[in-house]
Amino acid sequence: MLELVGVSHHYMARKSSFDHGLHHVLDNVSLRVMPGDTLGIVGRNGAGKTTMLRLMAGIIEPRQGVIRRRAGASCALLSLGLGFQDSLSGRDNALISAMLQGVSKRDALASLDAIREFTELGDSFEEPVKTYSSGMRARLGFASGLLTRVDILLIDEVLSVGDAQFRDKALAAMQQRLGGEQTVVFVSHAEGQLKALCDRAVWIEQGQLRAEGSPEEVIALYRQPVAAPR
Amino acid sequence: MTLSQYATLMDTMARLSLKADASRYFFGYVWWVLEPLLYVLVFYVVFELILQNRKEDFVVFLMCGQLAFVWFSKSLNQAARSILGSKGLVGRVDIPKSLFPLATIQEGLYKQAAVFLLLFAVLLAKGYAPSLLWGWLLPVMLVNYLLIVACSLFAAYLVCWVFDFHVFISMATIFLMFTSGVFWDPRDLDPAMTHWVLTLNPLAFLLDAYRQILLAGVAPDAVHLAIVGSIALLVALAGLAVLRRHSRFIALRVITS
Repeated sequence: MLELVGVSHHYMARKSSFDHGLHHVLDNVSLRVMPGDTLGIVGRNGAGKTTMLRLMAGIIEPRQGVIRRRAGASCALLSLGLGFQDSLSGRDNALISAMLQGVSKRDALASLDAIREFTELGDSFEEPVKTYSSGMRARLGFASGLLTRVDILLIDEVLSVGDAQFRDKALAAMQQRLGGEQTVVFVSHAEGQLKALCDRAVWIEQGQLRAEGSPEEVIALYRQPVAAPR
Repeated sequence: MTLSQYATLMDTMARLSLKADASRYFFGYVWWVLEPLLYVLVFYVVFELILQNRKEDFVVFLMCGQLAFVWFSKSLNQAARSILGSKGLVGRVDIPKSLFPLATIQEGLYKQAAVFLLLFAVLLAKGYAPSLLWGWLLPVMLVNYLLIVACSLFAAYLVCWVFDFHVFISMATIFLMFTSGVFWDPRDLDPAMTHWVLTLNPLAFLLDAYRQILLAGVAPDAVHLAIVGSIALLVALAGLAVLRRHSRFIALRVITS
């Protein structure tokens, strides 16, 4: 469904006006995601997880290596807070969000009430997103992303915030989706969620693939350096 | 994304943005016509009251030029920052980057429709009777729109590439305001200079065309209009191709900016 072959990525970041620094984000990463797979990605902040999801979604392209997606496979990236236009209401943002995933305007409009209901935002759904708390943004982001049908769902931390009640609801909705052909790549720091949802996991550290295997094995390895510092 | 999906999305983004914009201001939709009118007022105070301009019906002359110029300059400056300003969406979905400048221009188009209606109302009140010749306004407006699109697509690309370009774009807008005959008439210059101003500056030609149709009752130079329109169309298509080809490069620049 999705394959990364020897993918490296770096970019020039501006530190100050005349000083350009080269940031290495990913270094020769190869992995494969089969249809119906749920792959978890663990790693510290800044390890390259979000960049990897953006590469998988085709938003940016790698400096080296190849990314192969099954022809015609649709792909959506759910991430926190990003992607909202602050002056628009939750409803309008959800509408644009759905249309950006390729849903027709009529279908997008028809799905808005279901999204509103899932988010449990009530009247806030009609208020500008700039008035939202981060938890409310997460609800909106998750609901508008989940209710549109795509072949590959890339989830970046969306399930890690929000209150416990909504997390459980989101997790349950995810598990329902995972039963079928849904392919998911899932970035999270919540180890319980990773173990509950994923059938495979990888650990990314400093842009490199450190471990690959069952979520239990990978998480155990990932936690090791913290327990026993080098 | 099919062409019709693209067009619907662009239009929806423009309408929602207009709605959000109107709800932010106390005067809401009134600003659509109030803002251009305030521009006209500023120039009126300077040129009619202080500098004692002797041109007949100066207010109408000024409005014909200024209202079209503000359409161009505001659309260009807002479209130039539109891709960079949508960092959140650009980092989340792989979408055609031209969508952002075109949605911004579409927003300006809706506002401009109201502005043109106001201009026609003022013209009627001043005793300028509409005639069949006013039909020429449609191709002139179309070319004006194409010119906005052509300039905006490249401006938006350049601003993503090197942010500093936005300074250059606002400078260029000021330069154009002084050289396009907004508050002076290119036809008052000596004939050789009139020829050069209208030939070299497509915006000056368009502002003059509006005045020729509405005030002088003369059809604009059709060949000249067709040439400006064709060049603008070609540049706009080239701009679309560049944004399409460099879509992921732009995304990277926007995300890391």
